[in-house]
Amino acid sequence: MKRRAILAFMLDRPGVLNKVSVLIRKKMYNVDTLTVCSSRVEGISRMTITLREDDQAKVDQIIRQLEKFTEVISAKELDTDHSYWREVAIVKLEVDAAHLESFRGRYNFEVLDQKEEDILIIQLAGATRQIDSFLEEVGRQYIIEIARTGVAAMEK
Amino acid sequence: MTEKQIITGKNLMLRALKEKGVRYIFGYTGGAIMPIFDEMDKLGDFHFIMSRHEQGAAFMAQGVSRGSLSTDKPQIGVCMATSGPGAMNLTTGIADAHMDSIPIIAITGQVTTGVIATDAFQESDVIGVMMPICKQTYMLLAAEDVEVTVHEAFYVATTGRGGPIVIDIPKDVQNQSVSETYRFDAKTFRPSLPGFFYHPTPEREPLRRAIELINRSVRPVLFCGHGVITSNAGKLLQQFAEKVNIPIAFTLHGLSALPVDHPLSLGMMGMHGTVEANRAIMAADLLISFGMRFDDRVTGRLSEYARNADVIHVEIDPSEIDKNVACSVAINADVYRTLHVMLGDPMLTYKPRKRWFEKIDSFRQVMADDLRREIECGVGDDGRLLMKSIVHQLSVLTEGKDLIVPDVGMHQMMAARFYNYQTENSWFASGGAGTMGASLPMAIGIKLARPDERVWSISGDGGFQMNIQELGTIMEQQIDIKIVILNNGHLGMVRQWQTLFFDGRYAGTPMQSPKFGLIAEAYDIPYRKIEKLDEVTPALQQAIDHHGPILLEFVCDASEIILPMIPSDGGFGEMIVSRPGQEKTATRKSKGGKS
Ligand SMILES: Cc1ncc(C[n+]2csc(CCOP(=O)(O)OP(=O)(O)O)c2C)c(N)n1
Repeated sequence: MKRRAILAFMLDRPGVLNKVSVLIRKKMYNVDTLTVCSSRVEGISRMTITLREDDQAKVDQIIRQLEKFTEVISAKELDTDHSYWREVAIVKLEVDAAHLESFRGRYNFEVLDQKEEDILIIQLAGATRQIDSFLEEVGRQYIIEIARTGVAAMEK
Repeated sequence: MTEKQIITGKNLMLRALKEKGVRYIFGYTGGAIMPIFDEMDKLGDFHFIMSRHEQGAAFMAQGVSRGSLSTDKPQIGVCMATSGPGAMNLTTGIADAHMDSIPIIAITGQVTTGVIATDAFQESDVIGVMMPICKQTYMLLAAEDVEVTVHEAFYVATTGRGGPIVIDIPKDVQNQSVSETYRFDAKTFRPSLPGFFYHPTPEREPLRRAIELINRSVRPVLFCGHGVITSNAGKLLQQFAEKVNIPIAFTLHGLSALPVDHPLSLGMMGMHGTVEANRAIMAADLLISFGMRFDDRVTGRLSEYARNADVIHVEIDPSEIDKNVACSVAINADVYRTLHVMLGDPMLTYKPRKRWFEKIDSFRQVMADDLRREIECGVGDDGRLLMKSIVHQLSVLTEGKDLIVPDVGMHQMMAARFYNYQTENSWFASGGAGTMGASLPMAIGIKLARPDERVWSISGDGGFQMNIQELGTIMEQQIDIKIVILNNGHLGMVRQWQTLFFDGRYAGTPMQSPKFGLIAEAYDIPYRKIEKLDEVTPALQQAIDHHGPILLEFVCDASEIILPMIPSDGGFGEMIVSRPGQEKTATRKSKGGKS
């Protein structure tokens, strides 16, 4: 199913996140990712939700229902052609440091910690697909733990 | 030395309610709301009405809001309950108000802030429970927030599409005092809600296209929805319909916006709508809908709904546009203002539409004889009374002018179909939620909002017993409502489905009732039981002549059904127009709409 990103700005009031997640549950979606942060304007939060839906009318409907919330100032869909979708992953993995270096150039990562010779914690930023393919290339069996932020998105 | 007055959360709460014109407060006390109740009693500014169950209080509040919206002094109903079980008992009435877009304010006491989220005695997560079933929730954590919040709550409740608001106020916040520097000016207050848009005025371009479609259309139908009632636009819609000569179909909540026997009226549409309304919709080339949301009981199976029609959708809530039925022209605006602008448009043209009205007349004939015969006969095969005939007699006797508050079930559909509504905003039903038990408490609120008009609460034996305890409120307050029970010994509406779709197996629908006469006596309410046709009108007349509440129990035929019926999830083509086994009328004659 097609992945969608919805960007919404809303008043930073208690319970707003709850409201948004209740709506998404009510519409029977499983949220792919959901990130919230403060925006440039004080008191206004910025939320990026990604979920899967093929039907454009249904996506438009969610956006309208989001906009209906008293606290929501605006909501819109961001498509991949006209916006950047990025996430950050922190990965603890068992890998030969030299082998890891061979990924440099293709992937944008930074070593945060190297406790033992071949156990590293790295930070990796990029599109979801890029992070996925990095994990595939390294080999999922070498990954000890992973933390991903979920998608943050911005229009071009 | 002058004594300084200490102002607390409870003072501010009541001050804000008074400022917003609240006269009645319905509710039930308990530990967490006692400070406000106590203060209310001291002030004596409000008429407090104790319901016998918090659900009753929520419906009474609805009654005030619904009943008064068409008067020159609209009021918002307010209900109050204590924390935990008290608040939870409000939920059904609040969810019901949400489904029907009724602005009410529910104030719930909460345990003190120090023990919140510790599973304290009578604590429940009121905000968590209410959030999905109301328009907005607020939790008050400081006395200084009380007035701002209550004023914002009234604004949100009544702006755009109406809805219920829940304000949860911990006990300590009720008693908390504000600092000496605290100021609030209700006159200059404006809520700061940058995202709360509301477009009352229609835009030019969609209006122009709408008029074009209307002028071009050959077989149009106007839809009168709840928005026509809530924006008090019934007279405008009538003028509009007359100006362009287009028939009007009503949603359940659109009833009583204008006289239902108007020559252009098709009556109610949808599952139990009239044949003429539903067939006209099937055959239409244009639907012009005002203030409604294409609920599934209105449309039946969507894939078959009005396939050949363009749709103009005038609706205040943008999230309703294109939700169920895709429209050709969307006008996101207030119904009254839209009609006002449209009426002034010189491009709008009148057409005689002779062919269209002839066709509609033929639809009218499909069931006309059957219904007339049933109503005239007045009794079923077993000699018991027919609901439709009772409603018809009530309509004749009161000239269609009274206020009707049905409960939910078959009798509700009978009341929707066979009372000849003449008074604007005279029909009050739980529609979206279809909550049995709504009628008795809602009628109390309606009567308080419209004291000079006669109010009939009409229930089935099932629904009546769901909020039967409110007879106590009626007794105590001497609320002059005429209570009618149409007792068929069954949960009639469900029984009808069992008759039609479950091979007549009556699971969980036969019902034994108490001696309603004794119940009435216990509450000091006069009572009369009616079993014979010739007693119907005299009994109704007795209720009219009696000053004060009275209970009439009509013994009805259990096998009566309400037709036509579009099976749930069925298409309009599947409309059932005659009882099974009585196949005199083809049921699927014009399947598929335009040929
Ligand atoms: C609270 C609630 N429970 C169940 C239903 C489902 N329901 C809808 S109509 C109906 C039957 C109502 O029976 P009664 O009140 O006797 O009225 P009648 O249909 O016989 O006129 C039922 C059970 C409902 N609408 N509301």
